[in-house]
Amino acid sequence: MIIKKIQIENFLCYYGLNTFQFEDGLNIILGENNEGKTKFYEAVDWLFNGINNDLENLVSAKKLKEIALEDSFKVSSSLTVEQYNNEYKISRSFTVHKSNNNEIEISNFIFEGQETDSTTGQRIPINGQVLLDRIFPFQIRKYSMFKGETELNVFENEEALANLINLFSDARHLEKYTEKGVFLREKAENAVDQSTKLNQKNQKAYNILESEISQLEKEKERLRIHINSTEEEKTKLEKNIKEAEKYVDNAEALQTINKRIKNIEEKISSLNSKIDESFTTSLFDENWILVNFESFHKEFAEKITGHSKTRRELQSAFDKQKGILEGEKRAKAELLNNAIPLPNNVPSKAVMEEMLDDEICKVCNREAKRGSEPYEFMMKRLKTYLESQVIEDREKDKDEPLFKFDYTYRLDNLTISHEDNLKNLRLIRSKIKDLFEFNDNRKKDVEELKEELEKEIKEREKIIGNARIANEDKLLSIFKNYTAWQEDFRGLNKEFFNLEAKQNEILKQLKLKKEEKDNIDLNSANSFYLKTRDILRNIETIFKETKEKKFDEFIDKLESKSNKYLSQINVEAFTGEIKFTKKKFSGDRIKIDVSLFESGGRYFMPGTAVRTSLNISILLAISELANEVRDETYPMIFDAPTSSFGETKTGDFLNLIYETSNQKIILLKDFIGSYKNPDGSVKELFIKDEFNSIKRKKAFWVKLERPFDKKDLSTINTEVNPL
Amino acid sequence: MKNLFEKWKTKEPEYDIKFRELLFDKLTRKGGGSEQSKEDRGKQFANNYELYIYAFFLGLYNNELQPIEIGVQKVSFRYQISLWGSKVNRLDRKDFTNLQENIFIALIAKTDIDLVALEKGELDEDDAVKALIKTMESYTNGGLILIKEKLEENPNYFLQPTSFLNMILETENV
Repeated sequence: MIIKKIQIENFLCYYGLNTFQFEDGLNIILGENNEGKTKFYEAVDWLFNGINNDLENLVSAKKLKEIALEDSFKVSSSLTVEQYNNEYKISRSFTVHKSNNNEIEISNFIFEGQETDSTTGQRIPINGQVLLDRIFPFQIRKYSMFKGETELNVFENEEALANLINLFSDARHLEKYTEKGVFLREKAENAVDQSTKLNQKNQKAYNILESEISQLEKEKERLRIHINSTEEEKTKLEKNIKEAEKYVDNAEALQTINKRIKNIEEKISSLNSKIDESFTTSLFDENWILVNFESFHKEFAEKITGHSKTRRELQSAFDKQKGILEGEKRAKAELLNNAIPLPNNVPSKAVMEEMLDDEICKVCNREAKRGSEPYEFMMKRLKTYLESQVIEDREKDKDEPLFKFDYTYRLDNLTISHEDNLKNLRLIRSKIKDLFEFNDNRKKDVEELKEELEKEIKEREKIIGNARIANEDKLLSIFKNYTAWQEDFRGLNKEFFNLEAKQNEILKQLKLKKEEKDNIDLNSANSFYLKTRDILRNIETIFKETKEKKFDEFIDKLESKSNKYLSQINVEAFTGEIKFTKKKFSGDRIKIDVSLFESGGRYFMPGTAVRTSLNISILLAISELANEVRDETYPMIFDAPTSSFGETKTGDFLNLIYETSNQKIILLKDFIGSYKNPDGSVKELFIKDEFNSIKRKKAFWVKLERPFDKKDLSTINTEVNPL
Repeated sequence: MKNLFEKWKTKEPEYDIKFRELLFDKLTRKGGGSEQSKEDRGKQFANNYELYIYAFFLGLYNNELQPIEIGVQKVSFRYQISLWGSKVNRLDRKDFTNLQENIFIALIAKTDIDLVALEKGELDEDDAVKALIKTMESYTNGGLILIKEKLEENPNYFLQPTSFLNMILETENV
C-alpha cells in the first residue's frame, strides 16, 4: 500500500485545502517547531482514529474568522492510497456552521470511503472504517505511526513485540493447528483416562497420581512466576549498580575489587554448601535414628534364638516319638545279618513281575523256579511293595508334622543379616560427632572469609566515595544504597539458583509421576486408545515445536536485521548488539525482552540517541520482515523520530532509510536555518544547503505564512511548499 | 517358608487423629496443602511417614508404649509400610528398607506373640500381624505425645535443625 495523497482542509493551522502528494520510498516533511509538522501528524491520526467529540477544537481559527455569519465550511482530513493497482480514498470530515450570534455548530460528522474500479474508473462508496481496516489493518497501523522519540519504544509493553512477531512470522499459520493439536490430544487422553478408570483396581492409584501431578504442576507454575520476578528484580538491581558505577572515577580499581569480592563470596557459598545441616534427613537416610537400637536388636536376636531352640527341641521330641514307630516298621526286615533293606520299589513292580514270569532272578542271574525259595522271596517283595502303597496312603493322614509353618527360617535370617549391621550402629555416634566438627570448622572458615569480605567492601566504598557527580544529594543516595544493592543482588542470585534447582527437581518428579501414570495406562487401557493418544501427543508436539521453531527463526532473523540497521545508523560510533530474549509465562504467554549488550555485558544506561537507534533499527527490521512475509508493504509515519541525533547523524539516518523498501513519511525540524532580526526574533527561515545531499523521493517544507501574531490564532496558516 | 515381615509390610498403621493437625500438618512437608507449602519453616520431615517412623523410635527409646485410647478416631496416610521411603519418586534420598526391617525387629522383640503356636497353626497369622501393628501404633503414639509436649513447652523448638536429632540422642540412657 502506498499513500498517494493526504489532504488537510481547515484543520487547525491548515487553512483551506492543503495537499501533500507522496511517492513510494522516502518522503520528508521539514518544518520549524510549531509550524505545522505535528499538526500534520495529528490530522492523519484523527483520520484513522478520530471520534465525534470536541470537534470545535479542530477547526481552523483563521477560516472561522473569515467566513460570514450563517455561513458553513468543511473540515476534513483525507487519504488517497494505492493498493494492488486500485485506488481508494478515505476521509473524515464534519461541517462547521457559524450562527448569527457568532457561535459554532458542528454537524455532518462523516467517515467515508471510496473505491475506484481500475478498469471502469467507476467510484463506489464504502464505509470508511470497513475500508480502512481492509486496506490498512489495525495491527499494522499500530506499528506504523510514531510520534516523537519516546513512542518508538513500543516494545516496553509486555507482549507487544511477541504479538508483532506472531503477526508476521510463519508461526501464525500454525496457531490454529496447535490449538487443534491440544484439543485432539486432550480428547485422546480423556479416552485413555476413562478406560483406565474403569479398571477399579487402578482407580485408587490413578487418583493419587493425578492429584500428585496436579499439585506438582501448580508448584511448577508458582516457581516459574517466582523465577521470572526474581530475574526481573535482578535485572533492576544490576541496572542500579551499573548506574552507580558509572560515576566512579577509578573504574578499573573498582572492577578489580568487585572481582575479589565475587571471589570471596563464591568461596563462602561453596563452604556453606558443604555445611550439611540436614540432620533430620540424616536420621533416615544415614540411619542415625538407629543410634540407640543395639539393645533392641539384642532382645530380638535372643528371642528368635530362644524360639529356634525350643522349636528344635519340640521337633526332636516329636521325631523321637515318631522314630519308635518307624523302628517297629523296620524290624520287619528279613535280610541276612539284619541288613537295611533296599527301598520297596527297587527293582520296580514291572521288573519284578517280569522276573517272576521268567522264573529267573535277573539281579543275581540265577534260576528261581516257581515254589523255590528265591521265587517265594521275590513274590513276597512284590507283595510288600504293593501293600506298602496302600499302607503309605493310610499313614499320610497320621503323619502330620508338628509345625505346619516355618516362620523361624526368615526370622533367623533377619537376625544374621542384621548382626553385621551392629558395628555400623556403633559408629553412628562418632559419625555425628565428626559431622558437627566438620561443620564447625567450615563455619569458622566462613567467618574468616566474611571478615575479609567486609574489608574489601569498605575498600570499595572508598573508591566509590571518590566518584564525581554534580548533584551531591543524588550521589549520597546512590552510594548509601550501593552496598545494599550489592547485598540484595547476591541474595537474589542465591535465591535464583535455589529456585532453579527446585524447579529442576519438580520437573524430574513430574516426569516420573507421568511415566508412572502412563504405566497404569499401559497396563489397563485399551491399546487402541493408547496408540491413538500417543500419535496425537506426537502430532501436538510437532505442531508446537514447529510453531516455536518458526517463531524462534523469526526472532533470529529480526535480531540479525536489527543489528544490521543498528550498525548502519551508528556508523563509526558505539553500536553494541541487540539481543532478543524469549521468556515464557503461564498459559503459553510469551514476552520478548529487548536489550542492548556492550562487550562487558548488558548495557543498562543507553542515552536517548542510542535508544532511538535501537528502536528504529528494530522497527525497520520488523517492517522489512513484514514485507517479506506479507508480500505487501505498508507506509510508516514518523514525527520527529531523531530529535536527539544532531543534523549529520540525521542525514546519515535518512540516507539509510532511503535504501529501505517501503514508503516512509518522516517529519523533521532539521535542515532549517534562519535569519534573525536585530532583536533576536526570526526574520526569515531557509532550507540549508546540506539538505540537497539528502536522498529522498519527495520533500515538503511546512511553514507559517508570515507575518502572523503569536497571540492570535486566526492569523495562523501553515503553507505547504513542495521542495 | 512363611514370612511375617512381608505380611506386616502390607499394612497401613494408624495414629490418633488429633495429631494430624497438631503435628503432621505442622512438621511434615506433605499433607499441609498447597497453600501452606510456602510455609516450610520448621517442616523438617519430607513426608508424613518420616514423622511416623521418628515418633515410633522416639517412643521405643523412651519406653513409651502408649496404646491409642479406645474410642478415639484413628487415621492412616493410606500408604502401606513397604512404600515408606521407597526409592522410586524420591530423588536424592536413600531407601528405607533397612529402617523397615529394624522397625519390624523391634516389634518382634517387644510384642508378645506365641511363635510356637503360630508355627503350629494354632495362632492365625493375621492376628500375629495385628499384634505387631498395635505395638507399632502404641510406641508411635508415645513418641507423638513426647513431641507434642516438647512443642507445648517451646513452640519454636523445632525451628532448630538439631532439635529432632537431639531428642533421639538424649534417649541414650533411658
